[in-house]
Amino acid sequence: MKSPSKKNPPRLAIQLLRWWANDADIEDLLGDMEEEYAYHLGRHGKPTAQLNYIRHTFSLILSYSLKRRKQSAAYSNFYFHNTMSMIASYFKIAIRNFSKYKLFTSVNIFGLALGMSICLLALSIAVAIYRSDEHHEHKDRIHQVNTYIWNEEESKTFGSTFPAVADHMKAKYPFIEKTVKIRSGFSPEFNHHGNAISFNGYFAEASFFEVFSFPLLSGDPRTALAEPFSIVLTQSVAETLYKEEDPIGKSLETEQGTYQVTGVMADLKQTHFYFDLLTSHATYEQLVPEANLTNDWSGYRDNYLYLLVQPGTIELSLAEALAQVSATAGEFNPNHTIELESVSLSEVVPRWNLSNAIGIGWDQPSMLFFLSIGLLILLPAVFNYTNLSIARALKRAKEIGIRKVVGADKGQIKAQFIVETVLLAFLALFGAVLIYLPLKEEFLDVVFAAEVLDTSMGPAQVTVFIVFTLLVGLFAGIFPARYFSRLNPIHTMKGKASSGAASVSGIKKGLFVFQFFVSLVFIIGVGAIAKQYSYVLNQNHGFESDNVLTVPFQNIDKQVVINELRGHPDVKAVTTSSSLPGIILPYHVDVTPNALDTMTVSQVFIGEGFIDQMKMKLVWGNSQELDHSTQNIEHVLVNEQFLRSAAVFNHEQDSLSFTTADGTHCRIVGILEDFNFEPLNRMIGPIIFRQSLEQSEFALLTINSPDIRNTLNELDVIWTDIDQESRFEAAFLDDEIEASYHFLKTQIKIFGFLSALAITISCLGLLGMVAYTTENRTKEIAIRKIMGATNKSLYYLLTKDFLKLIMISALIAIPFSYVFYDKLFLYFLLRYGSGLGITEVAVSIAFLLTVGFASIYWQTAKVAHTNPANNLRYE
Amino acid sequence: MKGYLGEFEELVLLTIANLAAGAYGSALLRDINERANRNLSLGALHSTLTRLEEKGYITSYLGEPTNERGGRRKRHFELTSTAISALNDMKSLRDELWANAQVNLSR
Repeated sequence: MKSPSKKNPPRLAIQLLRWWANDADIEDLLGDMEEEYAYHLGRHGKPTAQLNYIRHTFSLILSYSLKRRKQSAAYSNFYFHNTMSMIASYFKIAIRNFSKYKLFTSVNIFGLALGMSICLLALSIAVAIYRSDEHHEHKDRIHQVNTYIWNEEESKTFGSTFPAVADHMKAKYPFIEKTVKIRSGFSPEFNHHGNAISFNGYFAEASFFEVFSFPLLSGDPRTALAEPFSIVLTQSVAETLYKEEDPIGKSLETEQGTYQVTGVMADLKQTHFYFDLLTSHATYEQLVPEANLTNDWSGYRDNYLYLLVQPGTIELSLAEALAQVSATAGEFNPNHTIELESVSLSEVVPRWNLSNAIGIGWDQPSMLFFLSIGLLILLPAVFNYTNLSIARALKRAKEIGIRKVVGADKGQIKAQFIVETVLLAFLALFGAVLIYLPLKEEFLDVVFAAEVLDTSMGPAQVTVFIVFTLLVGLFAGIFPARYFSRLNPIHTMKGKASSGAASVSGIKKGLFVFQFFVSLVFIIGVGAIAKQYSYVLNQNHGFESDNVLTVPFQNIDKQVVINELRGHPDVKAVTTSSSLPGIILPYHVDVTPNALDTMTVSQVFIGEGFIDQMKMKLVWGNSQELDHSTQNIEHVLVNEQFLRSAAVFNHEQDSLSFTTADGTHCRIVGILEDFNFEPLNRMIGPIIFRQSLEQSEFALLTINSPDIRNTLNELDVIWTDIDQESRFEAAFLDDEIEASYHFLKTQIKIFGFLSALAITISCLGLLGMVAYTTENRTKEIAIRKIMGATNKSLYYLLTKDFLKLIMISALIAIPFSYVFYDKLFLYFLLRYGSGLGITEVAVSIAFLLTVGFASIYWQTAKVAHTNPANNLRYE
Repeated sequence: MKGYLGEFEELVLLTIANLAAGAYGSALLRDINERANRNLSLGALHSTLTRLEEKGYITSYLGEPTNERGGRRKRHFELTSTAISALNDMKSLRDELWANAQVNLSR
């Protein structure tokens, strides 16, 4: 029927006329136009015909005729809009369809619910982050000052700024009502019933509580941070330190001085700050008297500045002021390009890319990453819906055919399917919320500082969820809707849906492969991380960790305790150290290997016999020499990495001495073979080992005992005899090391969960597809059986298509996973020994194949085992 | 005066009468364009047809689908008795005027 395109009148003109006519009947007009076109085409050629056609189009658009037709169409009781009553009827049909095809409905609701739950989690966290700092009274007038620095080394925007900016701006610009200077890095250690507890907080200017609306539960907001060494605790810290008592006026002892509690504030909620306690900015000025803060235009890290501007201040004047200050800052830093920027409080989080951000510094990239993981899980579920709906065309084609014959318009068919999908998506939303709630609890426990976020179901969350569900419904429904609306009613009434809907073909194959690809990548991920975990636990760290008991000293007399513990028969050896091997080293020191250069190294203080007891290997030297330090020269051990780093400085090889930052002259008496003193994911850095009992914090006991519990009890008794105040808290070094790899366990958990979701969704899709193809081929199978096909050949027949698809997805997934995990993921995150192995990949594929086969078998067995006569009877 | 017929309306009505069963939009347009040597647009023609229908001079019905129009149906027009009497009135008026003409109109 189709004529070559050059014979057709201009399409745009027809569409324009149709659009203008809207509901009016213009069939005869279009017919007249086409006839005219053909007439002119034959006589005058194409351009004239087209020009004429366009002329007629416009004349008709302006004509009285069309105007009348439109008027009468508007009053007609037959029109194609989707009215409320139509939509109500779509609902009814949708619900009837859901209850009629229960397998289809449950597969889709379950799959969508699983996929949506992760997205809901990501969305709720995103909503909480975006709604940070909305509770401040003056939020519209508060601005954070950011610093953009460009020099040869870096080009970055910092969340912090120069210390001098605050006073400079306040003195110069009258529209600045108040400034809040905040400095991070306040980490006092309090002595609490014999245990040292450390906290993190900020040094904040006295105006903090006036500018920000953080409620003080007790204390005066105006004076709480006025005096040096005054401290404001958050509620949970106050409860830890003073269970029942009123903390106001109590003093807290630290190494730097005694702090006076002047206030208790509510725990942080929905803010970009993250601290346990606050002390006054004046404290910082006293602690670091040499820092000349009002004139410091050089250090821009860790100093944060918030400006409260006068009401009615226009943005421009602030921007101008900052440009002037930037110029001033530029004078002090000639080699830097400096631009100060103001960020309104509501926009402080999340940011795209900000260095040295205050608090947790929620950023958009990680939010996007998380959301895309959620979408990656959701997408297969959406594909399932699309696939299954189109596969079901055979079942519903007749319904659509009748609708069309009775007079349904394309738009109405589309609307019907979209309403149906959206309804299904909302049913899935209920399921998703049920999964999401426990999931959120579990997840927020893992995420650092998540307690600050308020992810409870508020109006904003609910709105976002509903809009999200609508979008999912629209997206999932649009393809089936388009497909169904295009069906030819005559063909469908005859019972054959066009374009081979019942078979698995084309785009459906692609979607299928994608699903299994995602599943496989997740499963291989679980395998890869699990392998790392077992590697970490079984790997020899380069020192003895079996049967070593670690006991923190606390305030006990170290020498006495060592002597007493050594007396116990099960204790083979006792030594001490400042930090546990296998755990991250907290102490760093600057050393000067020659007169010019310094480098930062980790240092560990060890007790007598540490090296021998921990079975660490010396490359050169003698660990006994450690005992022979003189007053002037301290004997130390270093690792090989230390020498390698020192050699960079053109260091004379024969002089094995260097100076530490505190002025101690050290001489190297032994070199240790490189080993992982820190967790395996850290690079082996230069370490120096110094002998000192005073600095040691742990006793390391090598135990050889037939009855560990009994031995521990006896050791506890010995301990308590010496000191009743401190408690005997022994742990095996193995367990401590394992605990330090807790993050790996968390990763396995998350990956395991995600892959379980992806596999479940993919298998649901597989199940649905197999169910419908086998159902559609029931008759074929019956005939094959009658002709003598064996069950085996039938399985092969039904399975081979799907098997091929799974194989294709495996072929894509294997190289992808290899590159992703081995080259990127493991390289950047973990860096333990061997990367991805063949075993994990093989096991993952075998696992997926098993699960896939099981779901195929479940369906095919049903068809293959039935009596073929029954299947043929209803012809 | 019994009903008023415009010059163009009269032309359209007479063309319909000429074409009889073949009187539909495109045919009318071509006929008028050729006979009266005009360059009429479909919009103008259909506007007049609609007006005539509203005045009760013509009726219309949709024909069978035809192949050459992309399967679209034609709208055929027929004169009503009102139209015929109006045309007759028009003609007799003209005849009267011609007959009474004081200037020699014949060439």
